[in-house]
Amino acid sequence: MGTINYSTNELMAVTASRLLKDGQNIVVGLGLPQVATLLAQNTHAPNINIIYEIGVINPEAVDPGVGIADPRLWHRSEYFTSFIGTLGEILQKRLVDVGFLGGLQIDRHGNINSTLVRMGDGKIRHFTGSGGASDIATFSKNVYVIIKHERRKIVDTLDYLTTVGYLRGRETRRECGLPICESIKVITNLCVLGINPESKSLRVESIHPGISEKDIINNTGFEVKMIPGTKVTEQPTEEELQLLRERIDPAGMYIK
Amino acid sequence: MVDKVRDLKEVVSEIPAVGAEIALGGFAITRCPIAFACELIRQNKREMTLYEIIGSMDADLLVGAGAVKSLSYGGGSLDRFGRLGRINEAIENGTIDVKEYSGLGLTLRFTAGSMGIPFIPTKAMLGTEIIQNLLKAEPAVKVGQSPFDGESYVFLGALQPEYSVIHCQYADKKGNVVTEGPVWDLDLAKAGRKLIVTVEKIVSTEYIKRFPEKVIIPGVYTYAVVEVPYGAYPTSVYKCYDYDARALKLYARINNNQQDFDEYLSKYVLGTKDHNEFIEQMGGIARLNSIAADPVFGYAWGGKNDGDD
Repeated sequence: MGTINYSTNELMAVTASRLLKDGQNIVVGLGLPQVATLLAQNTHAPNINIIYEIGVINPEAVDPGVGIADPRLWHRSEYFTSFIGTLGEILQKRLVDVGFLGGLQIDRHGNINSTLVRMGDGKIRHFTGSGGASDIATFSKNVYVIIKHERRKIVDTLDYLTTVGYLRGRETRRECGLPICESIKVITNLCVLGINPESKSLRVESIHPGISEKDIINNTGFEVKMIPGTKVTEQPTEEELQLLRERIDPAGMYIK
Repeated sequence: MVDKVRDLKEVVSEIPAVGAEIALGGFAITRCPIAFACELIRQNKREMTLYEIIGSMDADLLVGAGAVKSLSYGGGSLDRFGRLGRINEAIENGTIDVKEYSGLGLTLRFTAGSMGIPFIPTKAMLGTEIIQNLLKAEPAVKVGQSPFDGESYVFLGALQPEYSVIHCQYADKKGNVVTEGPVWDLDLAKAGRKLIVTVEKIVSTEYIKRFPEKVIIPGVYTYAVVEVPYGAYPTSVYKCYDYDARALKLYARINNNQQDFDEYLSKYVLGTKDHNEFIEQMGGIARLNSIAADPVFGYAWGGKNDGDD
């Protein structure tokens, strides 16, 4: 068998998809998280439930959309409901196993900023804000984040804390009165980060093929540790790549 | 029979010229009450207090037009078309009073309002900068201990806005509202002291009685029904019409700075007498035909709607 060629986004989608387990309830937005979820559904996890906060459950889209407000993503749903039906009931009742998020910045304890960036001159630039993201991280049992690995995005201090991870680490999340979060995984273009169970700080669990520890350290805004015996992220299989390219994202909107 | 049918200009004219409190039901680029928002601008409403769970094109238009004093929202965008440029700039420059929530946080205030209970507890927003800022700025948001388990909760005061305004597919003249697709705006609609529903078409009560399971809001909640065909254009109405990608791309370009926005506003909103003229300016019937929804898919299936034409 020869070398398998794949893009970084394909590797990220495959890596994220392998974290999902069959039968899980997943709240997801557009982009790579959706691609990863559909890949899991088409491989090892046919019985997952997909929930969009707008009030859509288990759609089977046949056309790519521009966001969860695009009716393309509501096609062949099993249930339409309200914000209360998704965020207020299914999520708040703790029926969601995995919340899939992105963001502008993430810090060492997995807290996320999707609201604003502070510029050097004291001004701010305001972006999307929370939507359901903050709620999803509060109540999901596990939170997976896909984000680009750059110093300005994986930071020591957030410009704004929109979405909770483990707050200031250790037991601070529990002490604040927040529900238990079993795990946070951060999938970047360089590696997969997970949480140290004591300090509740992010640490490198696997490094993508061809990436060095130095690449990760240079692109991380805080002092990041590797777990002893850090593995190399497993490569995509031919079957996974074929599904991504021919069935899930044939136009290459997200995986290129 | 009670007839709640009103004319758009006439119902907007009863809204106070200064300081009205309005909750809008849009979500980014779908079922946004655009015709209603444009009429508020034409009638020069000022210093409004606005609520919208997910900020959308309608709220961005109103903020850009200088009609808003205070905005409470849970974040928002034009999906992949772009940002809410007028709202973002107003926050960046501090020109209006903006209170940001999480999506669930603001929704639960409407839920409490819709049920007539004084407040509702939740763990949503605990530990975030969102709640820190709300505790400083919004007396209706508090953090405290539950009398049951002693744990910390956010207590969200009920919100019953003076007007709730949503855009849906159908209603009858009694105000029974039929919506296809997800209903993110349900609690916001039921919380309003006066619920105004703009609809694509007013249907017979016979239709309602044949399909009562399709009614999401019974007429007991409804103050006024206004027939405004294409009232959400250029945002989508599921099973009726798609979003107009060309018009949204235009908007996402001009809302990046106030000068371009002002030119757009004078040409398309202040320069038109009603929503029909607004649509004519955008390309009229040919445009609407290009975004007509397939009855099964609910959007312009098989069509080309990427805005590149």
